[in-house]
Amino acid sequence: MKNSKNILDETPFQTAGPFLHIGCMPNKIKINNLYKNDLGEVPFKIKNDIEMITVEGSVFDGNSIPLDDVMLETWQCDENGQFFEDNGFARFIPDKLTKKFKLFTVKPGQVENLDGKNQSPHICLSISSRGLNMTLNTRIYFEGDDLINDPILSMIKNNKGNIDSLVAKKIKKNFYVFDVFLQGDKETVFFDI
Amino acid sequence: MNLKSLVKRNYNKQPEIDFPDYKSSIFRAPKNKKISIPSNLEIFGPIFNKKIIGKLDNDLTLNFSKNKMSPLGHKIIVHGTVSDQFSNPIKGALIEIWQANAAGKYLHQDDKNPAPIDPNFSGCGRSLTSSDGSYEFLTIQPGPYPYPNRGIEWRPMHIHFSIFGESFGQRLITQMYFEGDPLINLCPMVNSITDKKAKKSLVGKLDTSRSSIQNILAYKFDIVLRGVKQTYFENRQEGL
Repeated sequence: MKNSKNILDETPFQTAGPFLHIGCMPNKIKINNLYKNDLGEVPFKIKNDIEMITVEGSVFDGNSIPLDDVMLETWQCDENGQFFEDNGFARFIPDKLTKKFKLFTVKPGQVENLDGKNQSPHICLSISSRGLNMTLNTRIYFEGDDLINDPILSMIKNNKGNIDSLVAKKIKKNFYVFDVFLQGDKETVFFDI
Repeated sequence: MNLKSLVKRNYNKQPEIDFPDYKSSIFRAPKNKKISIPSNLEIFGPIFNKKIIGKLDNDLTLNFSKNKMSPLGHKIIVHGTVSDQFSNPIKGALIEIWQANAAGKYLHQDDKNPAPIDPNFSGCGRSLTSSDGSYEFLTIQPGPYPYPNRGIEWRPMHIHFSIFGESFGQRLITQMYFEGDPLINLCPMVNSITDKKAKKSLVGKLDTSRSSIQNILAYKFDIVLRGVKQTYFENRQEGL
């Protein structure tokens, strides 16, 4: 173990601001001749016989206004609970008109926790935007899965966190709704990871 | 057994989330305290292939120019290293940058600042760090610009940085400022960081040794991402 005195400070965050699309998804704002594709357009190369799901939702501010200038990034394992370096990452923004984002991806499997217990299927979600001095981290769990035995959700329950805010509602087969509330009674639980 | 985890984030060295001097944060900053969870899964993260990076992706003076016309303004080199908190260089880290042009205008439909667009400048670039963690961009000095906050205020000259290290938990989005800019200390976004040393770490230093090489002003900006450490975990037997 290295001496803690030698540990450097992490570079501080600053807001991503309102123009983050220029650097992170230029094709979305019609800067078309720079990059062939924006990063994270497709989280997984679609394979046959894999259960794909859609997660749709909005990000609401403290005035209950759905935002269209936020960037969402997700990171997840595949259906077998395996992480890959070149698969599992997605980056997207809400639609300008509907204010809804849509993630079409593989339903993640269970992954093993530190203590050998399984963590319920979930997707890591980060949110960056104007007005957020730091990127926020949360998770998307899924209604219908075993959410009682998940060690992370148990920790949140012990901290009196609003577990419901982390569970995507199942609307129909393979279609979930997950809204994020930055403030208010329904404020989403955000993590210090 | 030994498992990897990330060094806990020190929030005293980070900006305040709820910082009303920055007006946009008032209805966006969450009010509840973050809940701390183990980071053993966030050790993993996407790694980006160098095949995605084009030859001019880190040269903003050329990557959007028409008929070999140069963007307006003076050229600058922005360079530095990406390392973790244990001073280990991070190789293959993806750095994406975006910035205003020399007149302080972004190539973005939502930018209401009545300053001219530069047809030869997008303000968009990216690069992967080399094996020693180093990176370099050739770009144009961004201008300061007015924006509505508590009345009209001015942003100091800055470049936005988005960085992916090796772990999703190392993800960082920040801004680099320029040494000597008097607007830095007036900026509420900068001042949302109360720790003086942390604030100073966002200021790119004029690097005269590098500047003399190509008659281009150079600035050095080193980036530190969270450290990855081995943790002994005793509630589990070896080999299970």
